[in-house]
Amino acid sequence: MPKFLTSINAISWYFLFPVIFIHFFVVAFPSILSLLLCLTDWNGFGRINYVGLENFQELFRDRVFKKAVKHNIIWTVMFLTIPVIVALIIAYLLTGIKRGQLFYRLVYFFPYILASIVNCLIWRYIFHPRHGLGGWFENQGIDFLAKSPFAMKETALYAVAWVDMWHFWGFLVIIYLTGMYQVDDSLYEAADIEGATKFQKFRYITLPMIRPIFVLSLIIIIIWSVPTFDYVYILTMGGPAYSSEVVANHLYSQAFQRMNVGYASTIGVMMFFYVGIIVGFFAILRRMGWEV
Amino acid sequence: MMNKILNIFLTFILTAFFATSTFAATKVVWWMESSADTDPTVQEMMCDAFNAEQDEVELECVFKEDINDTIRPALLSGSGPDMFDTPGASYIKIYQDAGLVKSMQEYADQYGWQDKLLGWAYNSGVFDGELYSIPKNYETMIYFYNKTLFEENGWSTPNNLEEVESLAAKIKAKGMNVYAYGSAGWQPTHEHLVGNYFNTYAGPDNVYKALIGEKKWTDPEFVEAIELLRKHMVDEGYWSGDLETYYSLDWDDFNNEFATRGSAMLMIGTWGFNVTATNFGETSDDWDWNPLPILNSQAGSAPNYQLATGGTMSINAASKNADGAAKVIDWILSDKERALKVTGSLGYGAWLLPLKYTDADFDPNIDPRQKRFLTEFAEASDSGNYGYTTWTFYPNDPGVHIWKDMEVVWAGDITPLEFMEESQRLWDQARADDALVPVGKR
Repeated sequence: MPKFLTSINAISWYFLFPVIFIHFFVVAFPSILSLLLCLTDWNGFGRINYVGLENFQELFRDRVFKKAVKHNIIWTVMFLTIPVIVALIIAYLLTGIKRGQLFYRLVYFFPYILASIVNCLIWRYIFHPRHGLGGWFENQGIDFLAKSPFAMKETALYAVAWVDMWHFWGFLVIIYLTGMYQVDDSLYEAADIEGATKFQKFRYITLPMIRPIFVLSLIIIIIWSVPTFDYVYILTMGGPAYSSEVVANHLYSQAFQRMNVGYASTIGVMMFFYVGIIVGFFAILRRMGWEV
Repeated sequence: MMNKILNIFLTFILTAFFATSTFAATKVVWWMESSADTDPTVQEMMCDAFNAEQDEVELECVFKEDINDTIRPALLSGSGPDMFDTPGASYIKIYQDAGLVKSMQEYADQYGWQDKLLGWAYNSGVFDGELYSIPKNYETMIYFYNKTLFEENGWSTPNNLEEVESLAAKIKAKGMNVYAYGSAGWQPTHEHLVGNYFNTYAGPDNVYKALIGEKKWTDPEFVEAIELLRKHMVDEGYWSGDLETYYSLDWDDFNNEFATRGSAMLMIGTWGFNVTATNFGETSDDWDWNPLPILNSQAGSAPNYQLATGGTMSINAASKNADGAAKVIDWILSDKERALKVTGSLGYGAWLLPLKYTDADFDPNIDPRQKRFLTEFAEASDSGNYGYTTWTFYPNDPGVHIWKDMEVVWAGDITPLEFMEESQRLWDQARADDALVPVGKR
């Protein structure tokens, strides 16, 4: 047997082979196929016809797609601000708690471990116009939350994002807290000697020291915001009147309700390129010497 | 001695083997749409009963959630069960184009299925002249009303637009909603309302012409029907008081609202019989039903029951036991008394096979209101006095557009005319792609 087949390097590849094999057929091959399907009018079953760039032309005329892209951008901005700020503050405050910290961690993290359907049902019930908060206020003679925010086109997107953020921010607390615990205590001690305030310690010690984790969290948020689907699908199905439609929901509707699989693949390809650009952007920053 | 014992043993083994292979029943696997409420009854009264009555075919019923998502990869991979359900005829059209579903024409001729089924129901499964699917259930849109409430207030059930609007004003003056309904449990409920207004305002003849391409969906009667629906939904708040509440109520909410006098009427499919009877059973009020009022004199006369199939059964093109599967279907279609017993156990909300029922077929204990529907519908639909539901006669893309984009009209983002222009564009596309579902000559 040739020596290279029994070398350490070759043996490593033998162990990797099953994973590579499965990955190719389960992930890589369907992804490549999806790239090709975007050039067809396939309905998911029958003959596949090549249509060139027709789907892309259609996509740029598609008013629902444009709306969905706008909603995804709003969604990303909301997730990059509200839960991040709240999680940073709470995590920093938690570092100062010596007793019962585990309890708070559990409470904050709890919504994250609940299934999305459970979270959604809880909030749908809270905002229910008959037996939720609206009904209760009505019984008190107060006209507040009489209509579910999920059912109004002005508020539906923000209401769904609120529920998703409520479930998500506890996750950020935990990872920020982990980063904060890795900061060397001697830095804080030195700052104390210099008379630094709590805010100054946070601004000039904590934040710079947790930057890798912080940037990672931002990358995760940006990437995860692209395929966001479950909360929108369960709570509003993208309605009313597409007011909470996001790109992944539009893709689902095209592929599985309208049976336009070729067109849905085009949407998928656009999502893929978008994520690629984001990853590329952060890769460039890293090359430029940023600690990301 | 040893040889003798060996001979006897081998003879026994070979006999057992051949007997098993010769007399073993053909196994037929059927993937059905799962519903927690009905699965045990279907298993007992259909699947187990079939197996107990004969020993040629062994039927295994497998209940699946979201059957269409489950069956698609199974069929595409060339495997899957011998028989399967689909949500409706538009899906069968796609399977037929892809060669994934078997033509049942030879079985239909052999067993005489055309004579057993209502004409329109049989035709709904005929593609390119051959039978590919049989409806498992039929339904139509009607309205239920609180009979006690109507009698107390001296209200009459409405028959035309003027009477509907006049009654609605009286109901609202009493602090109640006109109709209970909501879409939180099923966003496509909007298409129920669109179909109602198309059929009762534009009329079934015009809908038929538009379905077969002799009329445009942008013609005034359809645009006016959508405008009237918009007015009743948004301006008047007929359904559960206002648009936002309509979006927020699910099945339990609006059924409960109707039974507790929150609303005076419930415009819904005939699947609502069971839950209406159950909910009113817990109150002191009585209920009844009527065909939908005709909103425009050009739309013909009442009743115009819209035809709808709720799920179909078909044979997999890759099945090696298609003959056995056909025997299962024939067993199901061959006994009207048994069929009525099964659907009766399910409150007539599922497995209401479109067979030619007559008065004599019914159990004497059947609720007379339910019986009136079954016989009136059979008579009206068989004599050609019927309309068309969107979820049975629309191809996928225009069908989804109807319920997805209706919200955009209600939101005021597009006009009814723009809505119907998009509908027409999608119909033209579907026609060009040969994606239409059979309508049957009117």
